Order: sequence, then structure tokens, then C-alpha cells
Amino acid sequence: MNQPQGKTDSGVVIGALIGTAVLVAIGALLLVDSTGRGGSGLSDAYELDAVKMARFDPNLIACHEVEPAIATGFARSRALTLDGEGRLYIAGDKAVHVLSAEGTLERVIAVSGEPRCVAVSSEGRIYVGLRNRVEVFDAAGERLAAWEPLGDRSFLSSILVAGDSVFVADAGNAVVQRYDKTGKAINRIGEKDPTRDIPGFLVPSPYFDLALAPDGLLRVVSPGRTRVEAYTFDGDLEFAWGENSIRIHGFCGCCNPVNIAMLPDGRYVTAEKGLIRVKIYDADGTFQSVVAGPDQLVEGGAARVFENAEDAEASGFDVAVDAAGRIFVLDTIENKVRVFVENQKGRSE
Amino acid sequence: MTRSSHTLILFAVLLATGAAAFGLERFPPPQFETDYVRPTTTVPNPPQGFWEYIDAGVLIVTLFLATYLILRKRSRRWIFALMLFSLVYFGFFRKGCVCSVGAVQNVTLTAFDSTYAVPIAVLMFFALPLVFTLFFGRVFCGAVCPLGAIQDAVLIHPVRVPRWLESGLRLIAYLYLGAGVLFAAMGAMFIICRYDPFVGFFRFGGNWNILVLGGCLLLIGVFVGRPYCRFLCPYGVILRQLSRLSRWRVTITPTDCIQCRLCEDACPFGAIRKPTEPWPAKEYRVAKARLAFFLVLLPVLIGAGGWAGYELRGWLAQIHPQVRLAQRIYLEENAQVEGTTDASDAFRATGRPSPELYSEATLLRDRFGIGGVLFGAFVGLVIGGKLLSLSVKRRRTDYEADRASCLACGRCYEYCPKEHERWKNRKERLGRS
Repeated sequence: MNQPQGKTDSGVVIGALIGTAVLVAIGALLLVDSTGRGGSGLSDAYELDAVKMARFDPNLIACHEVEPAIATGFARSRALTLDGEGRLYIAGDKAVHVLSAEGTLERVIAVSGEPRCVAVSSEGRIYVGLRNRVEVFDAAGERLAAWEPLGDRSFLSSILVAGDSVFVADAGNAVVQRYDKTGKAINRIGEKDPTRDIPGFLVPSPYFDLALAPDGLLRVVSPGRTRVEAYTFDGDLEFAWGENSIRIHGFCGCCNPVNIAMLPDGRYVTAEKGLIRVKIYDADGTFQSVVAGPDQLVEGGAARVFENAEDAEASGFDVAVDAAGRIFVLDTIENKVRVFVENQKGRSE
Repeated sequence: MTRSSHTLILFAVLLATGAAAFGLERFPPPQFETDYVRPTTTVPNPPQGFWEYIDAGVLIVTLFLATYLILRKRSRRWIFALMLFSLVYFGFFRKGCVCSVGAVQNVTLTAFDSTYAVPIAVLMFFALPLVFTLFFGRVFCGAVCPLGAIQDAVLIHPVRVPRWLESGLRLIAYLYLGAGVLFAAMGAMFIICRYDPFVGFFRFGGNWNILVLGGCLLLIGVFVGRPYCRFLCPYGVILRQLSRLSRWRVTITPTDCIQCRLCEDACPFGAIRKPTEPWPAKEYRVAKARLAFFLVLLPVLIGAGGWAGYELRGWLAQIHPQVRLAQRIYLEENAQVEGTTDASDAFRATGRPSPELYSEATLLRDRFGIGGVLFGAFVGLVIGGKLLSLSVKRRRTDYEADRASCLACGRCYEYCPKEHERWKNRKERLGRS
């Protein structure tokens, strides 16, 4: 039977269309991820990409590292400070190691427990903060005193000697305790007090640092608020700065910075945990430059820190600054001190 | 007490003291205090409740209206208008949910799971179209179902599907219904909702594969009238059977068929049946023998289906997320796979022992064994029933809309000269009045 040509052609086209649609439909049906094995299907925007978050403009790095790094000699290093002559005092395990400015071990001071923080007075006395008490040693390492222990809840995380006062940051109670040099308590700083507009420190993790700025005010980190607060010795809050941000200009995560140090010109050096980065802020708290980012500070960069919980916990690097403005970073993962010099200063030296 | 007992107790005390000392070294509970004032937790009533009752009300109204337009007014134009309204309201405005097609699963689950209560509105969506079908034929399919409406709207160039192919493809819908009921009964998945091809269009987004599936069905629907309704819809399977029993239903002619044959090709869904000739004696005898053979074959098919369903219980059970999780945990514990999944991590975080999960999975697998037997037997019954129906010749003296297959779209009305006569008479009556 003869059929009109047009009808035959349209039949073929319709048949081909239907056949193709059937095949595509079956293919689409078979490829449906009914078990969820293919993941959420959400775009990259919802992905926690540590490497991406750790990325920043490399031109912001304004320091270079001075090789070699200094070994601390500890299995677990915890804190670092410098004296006026550039000697390094590193607390770790159950001792304090005193190293020369060149990194040679000069003295080992045994401590009765695990030291959490260390400070040196202008007279050369060494104040070591343990979990809930302070021990005082002379320059030769002889123990001079052991102060009355604070409560069970105390967790000392930083200690500072300024003039006749010793300031102890108690992370467990989220307060700074001021003592005289004999261990007599003078006053408490940073306790929540609405009448004095003091919001109180927020300390979600065992990192709670303080430093003395050239302007004579204390700088105390309130890590839960991701900011640095300035206090008088009497406990008046003067000002605060800091912004929570994953971007390089801010402090990331729940509780950062973990440690701070003051440069001689009043600028800040900050260290962050989790996404480990050491940065410089000017005296007003405006981000200035990067000392080193995750890729420079941790082997494997950001990915390692995020994927390894122990590393993340131990990644609260301490920072200290010497009179020349050199930045000392205590690597608590590799147990070594790395020294960074600002590029301009490095060139001039 | 012996000396060794004392030593053991002393050792235990020392150990406990050491643990306490270790505990003291830990940092006190972290603070996350901020200025944010946490609001008091309130549990508002589900916002859907109100709309579900509105939906149920709209469903009742549209079903009555559809019945009137299809059986009384016999106006394709008005039926199409109502169909578009249903598409806009139940489809695009209410995003395709609640839907009678998917409600089959809710009703099934509530029958098998005492902790699940089906909402009244969902129950209405399931039951009302069935009741209307029982009395008036598939008026729900004709003008109320948004899934049918979206397909009907794209039917531009209908082509005829051979009867043998149509009968064969329709078996898919029975399989789909069986699988949907089985997985819902087992609490594994609402497969009919998961694979709803058009809900993605109603919601302007969804799984890409399902959108492609829906797009293909709509493309096919340009030429093959309502492919989902005819070959896939699990709810349509139930409606087909009830429609066979319906008291009132669509008739092509409003009065008597004059056998003009004008309506022969009117139905794009192949639902118009021609008058039949009496069977020649020889053919009748062959058909009779064939019918006897299929009657004997029917229990064999049911049994074979049940056996196959039982044998497939392991495979069917894998649809259940709990069984898949148990398998994953087992593979991880026996180092047969590397790494973990979010689900296995979450399970471990609960602290539940894995043997407990394995027992649960075994129990589910056993239940799937029973479900598989019933599902397989149902499939055997459907195939056997189809074979039997092919061996039975029904006598027809007029052109009729098939009770089961007619989707009550009203297209055939205008093909009937008697219908035109009715319109003319009506116009004259209206003119006189």
C-alpha cells in the first residue's frame, strides 16, 4: 500500500523522538541516586573546604623565616617567652628550657608539674604557671616560691610580669588575676560587670593570653569574642578590637586568637589555632600583614590541621617578640621555635 | 577476704584515683556565651494543617464539578478549564502535595506501622477519588489530577498505540503499585513520591534525573496521550478496577449509538471499543481451551511469582536504609571497604552496638521475605489475569468507552452526531425560552 511521503516521514520522526525520549528517560531513571551514595548533590558553596578557606593573597606575607628553627627539646612544648637579653624560655613537658639567643640550651629548670605558661621579670626571676598554681624560680633555676594554688576550676594559660605586678590569665575562670611579686592577690580583671561596661571574657578553649603594650595597658584576648581587649591594671576596660571572619583580616572559628605578642612599636602579633596563621595588626587593630599562613607553618597546610583532631587541639602556637622586633613562633606540633623577620627589617639588617 | 582480693581492690582504687587526676587535667566546660538571647522553644502547630483542609475542600468541590461537567454538561471545553485549574492549584500552587497518587503509600504505611498516623486530609485525598470513581468513573483522572492535567495540556499530535503494546506497558503500573505498597509497608521508602516525574516542574526545581524523566514523559506525551496515567500510574491501577464497577460513567453518545463510526479514532488514549462480532465456532473452541489452560496456569504464575519474590528478598531489602547501613558497618568492621560514610559515622556516634543493628537488619530482611512473596504473587496474579482477560471476548453492540481505560477527558463527545443534535436542541430550547 502506497502511503503519502509526508506521512511516512512524520511517523519516522515521531517514532525516533519517542524512542529517544524513552531511552533517555530509562537512563535518567537508572542514574537516580536513590541510596544517597552520591552525596548531597549540593554545590561547592556548601562544602567545608579547609584548603580554600586557608587561601589568601601571598603578597600579604611580609616576613621571611630565619633558618634554622630552634629545637625545644620537649615532647610537648607549651609556652614561650623572651627576656631582655633575647634568651628564650620555653615551657614544656615538666620543665622550662632556657636557651641563648642563638638557640643553645643553657639551663633546664625542673618544674613540679606540667608548665602551661612562663614569664621572666626584669630581675631575671622566672614565673611558671602550672595548671592552678604559680612557681617562682631565680635565674639559676632555684625554686624561690610556690604560690597558694587557685581553685580546682583554674586553668592558667598565660602569665606576665609588669612592674611590681604579676598578671595570670586563668582560662578556667575566664579572668585575669593580678598579684604582687610575693604572690599576694591584688585585684581581678575582666570579670563580667555591667556597671563598668565589662562584658566578661569568653574562653571556650584552654587558650587565653595577655600581653603588655607600650602604652602601659594590658592586652587580653577574649577568644570567644574573637577580639583583643585593653585594660588598665585596675581593671577598667578601655577599648577592644577584633572581627570574626574566615578571611585573612579577621579571626576565624570559635575562639581566636589563641596567643598574642606586642611588637616594640605597639603593633600586635597574633596566632590563631585551627586554621593556623600568624599575623600582624597595627596599634589600632587594623590588619596589616601575614607573618606566616597554614602552608608555611604546618606540613600539609590547612588540610592536615582540619582532618586531624589532635593536631587541631595542639595547634595553639605561642608567639613572642624580641627587642629587635623579631617574631618567635613556638610550633607546638613539631616542638621547635621558628623565627621570622619582617621583610623591610630583614633587608635593612 | 583473701590477700589477692585486697590487692585487686587496692589496684582498682588506685586506678580510679589516677583516672580522677587525669580528669582534673582537662579543661573546664567551654563557654560559648554571647549577647544573643536564646528564645524560648515553642512548638507551633504544623503550618500545613490549615492548607491541607483547604486542599481537601477544593478536592471535594473539583470532584463534584468534574462529575457535573463530564457526565451532565458533557463539555470538553469546561472539563479542560477545570483541568487547568487543578493543574494550577494542586500542581503549581500547592506544589503537587498532597497528591492522591502518593497517598497510597501513606495509607499503606499506617496499616503496617502502628506509630504512623495518616492525616485525615491525606486519607481524604486517597479515598475521595476512589469513591467518586466507584460511582461516576474516572472523573478524578479527567479533570482533577494535576499529573494527568500537565500531560493532557501537552497532547498535541496524538498517535495510536497498538492494543498489544498498551496492554503490555500497562503491566508496569501494576508492578509500580506493588513495589510502592511493599516499600511503604516496610517503611523503606515512598518510591512513588521519590520518582514522581512532574513534581519537579510544579516546584520549579528538584533532582535533575527526575526532571529529565518528567521532561521525557512530557515529550512522549505530545504524541502518546498521558503516558504516565496509562502505563505507570499506580493509583490509576486501583481506579481502573473501581471504574469497572461504576454506576454512572462516560458514554460517547448522549442517547443511542447510531454506529456512524465517527468516534472510532476520537480517543487519544485508545479507550473506545468497537462493537464486536460473534466468535466463529472454531475460534470459540480454541479460546475456550486457552482459557482453561490459563486458569490452570494462574496458580502456577502466582506461586512462581511468590517464590521469585522470596528469593529476591535480599535485593529488595537493600532499599531499606537500615539494611544498607548494617551492610556498610559490617564491611567497615571487617575491613572490606576503606574509610567511613556519614551514615556509619553517625551510627557509631550513637554508641549503639553493631550486633543490635545486624539483628534489626536481619529482621527487616525476613519481613522483606514475606513482603517479597506477596509482591511476587501479586505480579503473578496480574500477569495471569491479563492472560485470562485476553482469552475472554466481551460482547459489544455499540461503540463504547472502555470502563477501565476511559480517562473521562470528554474529547469524544463532539465526535458524536447525537451530541451535536443535543446541543442544537438545547440551543433551540434556550432560544424559545
